[in-house]
Amino acid sequence: MYLQKKLQKLLKPLVQPFFAVLIGIITGAVAIAIVGEPILDTYIVMWNGAFGNFYFLTSTLARATPILLVGLGVALAFRAGVFNLGGEGQMVLGAVSAALAALYFPGPPAVKLVAALIAGMLAGGLWALLAGWMESRFKVQLLISTLLMNYVAILFASYLVAEPFQDRSGSAALAQTPMIEQGAWLPKLFTGMSVHMGFVIAVFCALLLVIILRFTTSGYEVKMLGLNPFFAEYGGVNKVKVLLLSMFFSGALAGLAGTVEVLGTQYRYVDGFLTAPGFAWTGLMAALLANSNPLGTAVAAILLAALQTGAMGMERNTEVPLEVASVIQAVLILFVSAKFTINWWKLRKKEGDVSGTV
Amino acid sequence: MANLLEMKGMSKKYGEFLANDGVSISVGKGEVLAIVGENGAGKTTLMKMLYGLEQPSSGQILLNGKPVTFSGPLDAIANGIGMVHQHFMLFHDFSVAENIVIGHEPKKFGFFKRNDAVRSVNQIAEQFRINVSPTKKAGDCSVGEQQRIEILKVLYQGADIIILDEPTAVLTPFEVDELLKTIRFLADQGKSIILITHKLREVMKVADRVTVLRNGKVTGSVSKTETTSDQLAQMMVGRKLQKLNERDNLDGDTLLKIKGITMASKGEKPLLDKVSLTVRHGEILGVAGVSGNGQSELIQAISGLSLVNEGRILLKGNDLTDQPVEARRAAGLSHIPEDRYLWGAAKDATVEETGLMGSQRKPEYNNRSFIQKRAFRSTVKEWINRFEIKASSLEEKSGNLSGGNLQKLIVARELAFKTPFLIAAEPTRGVDIGAMEYIHDALIEKRNSGDGILLVSSELSEILALSDRIIVLYEGKIVGELERKDANEERLSVLMAGGIENVPTKKTSETS
Repeated sequence: MYLQKKLQKLLKPLVQPFFAVLIGIITGAVAIAIVGEPILDTYIVMWNGAFGNFYFLTSTLARATPILLVGLGVALAFRAGVFNLGGEGQMVLGAVSAALAALYFPGPPAVKLVAALIAGMLAGGLWALLAGWMESRFKVQLLISTLLMNYVAILFASYLVAEPFQDRSGSAALAQTPMIEQGAWLPKLFTGMSVHMGFVIAVFCALLLVIILRFTTSGYEVKMLGLNPFFAEYGGVNKVKVLLLSMFFSGALAGLAGTVEVLGTQYRYVDGFLTAPGFAWTGLMAALLANSNPLGTAVAAILLAALQTGAMGMERNTEVPLEVASVIQAVLILFVSAKFTINWWKLRKKEGDVSGTV
Repeated sequence: MANLLEMKGMSKKYGEFLANDGVSISVGKGEVLAIVGENGAGKTTLMKMLYGLEQPSSGQILLNGKPVTFSGPLDAIANGIGMVHQHFMLFHDFSVAENIVIGHEPKKFGFFKRNDAVRSVNQIAEQFRINVSPTKKAGDCSVGEQQRIEILKVLYQGADIIILDEPTAVLTPFEVDELLKTIRFLADQGKSIILITHKLREVMKVADRVTVLRNGKVTGSVSKTETTSDQLAQMMVGRKLQKLNERDNLDGDTLLKIKGITMASKGEKPLLDKVSLTVRHGEILGVAGVSGNGQSELIQAISGLSLVNEGRILLKGNDLTDQPVEARRAAGLSHIPEDRYLWGAAKDATVEETGLMGSQRKPEYNNRSFIQKRAFRSTVKEWINRFEIKASSLEEKSGNLSGGNLQKLIVARELAFKTPFLIAAEPTRGVDIGAMEYIHDALIEKRNSGDGILLVSSELSEILALSDRIIVLYEGKIVGELERKDANEERLSVLMAGGIENVPTKKTSETS
């Protein structure tokens, strides 16, 4: 009886994402059928492309790493009741700062590595903090400011690597920084496989976030601020402080996502290498799909990464185009955002009522 | 007197829960029947069955001696049964007349004849002596006027039996008196009225007969002349209620001192206009007033949720005027908020989390920023036992608690801070008599232990029962101050309506 209740409680939040995924797969099946390929076989190829052997599995985990970290950042902001749509910009600024720190910070390679990690998190965090500060000081809606600040950050990073810090050693003038020396790289977890230390860092962050949100005073205040800001204020929670801290760490996690990509995969900042695969938006989706639960975000990040790596395998081996994965993702987005819009609307309405009476 | 309407042995089951268990009522022509009971006693379910909104599990409805069944409200209306809901259902952008004739509009060739509508509304308003202005927009009407529109709508639809669901909950004392007069007049004109309420004073004023419900069963059906409100209360709660007795003045030192605080508004009139008051140790200061006259702003100014434009707020001599909420709470303030869902809790937070608010940084529950859940859980369990809060577990969402139980949880949380000063805003709004008694006892006990309480309530009976001293707010100003022994409902009502009292006793102030 007790066990059953506990199980129910554990499973209940999973029902909705499960259905979203199921309907996504069914829609994908329709798309595959329209292309004229066998549905089951195509999905098997896709599965193999994501988890088929050790190489593919580690590739999926490598791809999941930045998605997971950005997702955690978004989840943290959501818990505090705000939208951080600026994951992309924070990630890019984090990545470029990490690359520059690893290149130019004086000291032995290990020191460079630590400096790069700190610089990446600081850059992402401060960029998000700026948006948070504008919200608390001038009431600039975070939803809008974070989104727009993405463009500023991305274009600024492009400028940095196209002009002052461009790598001019090679013959082709690509928009990228020089390569970081090997001692400052994040080690690979298995030789020859693409998954690197960053994945371990990401999982550690997810666990840390669970502990903070569930067991600490700060986590409690963040959660209450997100559930009912009026209640939090009434109870003496310093709204501004909690909001700013949440935004800072949210941005820092996004910055860390960019940092580990630089230090573990590319070993330099390459213009567009974080924005083209859409890591930040996939991370946002992972957080939404998991309803901002950190561990759920981890699972969702791996799942979404698998969808992408699996689709690449599918494209290699069948006539089905890569875009089927986009179809499935789009259906997921539709489901998640429908639910989210409703909740968001309710909260808005509530706030409206308050300003009506006060 | 022949019974116009009879409900016999009505039962309604929701799953395992028996909301109504063999309830029988009857009402005659021209009679006012009051149905009283605590929240959850089954009043609403019974009326829903009568109005066709719910189908009974068993039982029979007899109208003029003939059995009838209603599949929906339209059926009930067609049979002359009308209902005035607690929450008004008006189109704010339509005129009063349009709201009244809606669904039964006078028409010619399919065109709405607005002038005829106004005429028939005037006629029916005159017939039943209910005062409205038909051409005004419903949204511009006061709450009392809106209620009159609802009553006229029901009359226009030709109802002979009118159900009024908690009609006085939203009215000012004056409006209540007007409504009671209207009810009496309607009954004299031969209409039958069913009045759902838990306010016994109104029952004793207007009802002919009273049926009391408790836990879905009828615990008494009496004629008003044969009963007293004490007896009714006893039937509602199932035990004897204690009386809040006269008490001695404690003459404590000054605890809270407010000097001339003003809060500006976007309009011309300030929300609070140079309000000064003092709360002493061992004193309950009651703040009376029609809601919306600055009470909310006063509470927020003191608790730190809004800042004031001028004036000073001092607690035990500490200037709190520019301090944030946390510092004020630390300085010795706790606060039962006026709206428990907006300020007092987060619906999606668990009972435990709602209870923890304000204590999360207290050393006894906090070890190096980790919350000591075990220690805190036992504290919450203590509250649950002491206040008999009905919650299935500490993990239950606070939004799932009934209003009264959530209120008890909030009261327990704020009392547990053991601060010298407490703001108690609408501490018993929407809670049943049993819970009300607990909360009142707890407040008196706190006062007797030498703490000061600022009680803000729109219930005059509550203010009169608990306060040592009473101030009246009107349009953001203090318009009167009365000692406990001088206060009565009439005098307060005059002050609440903004009238200056012309009783030659000592006047306001003595606040500094």
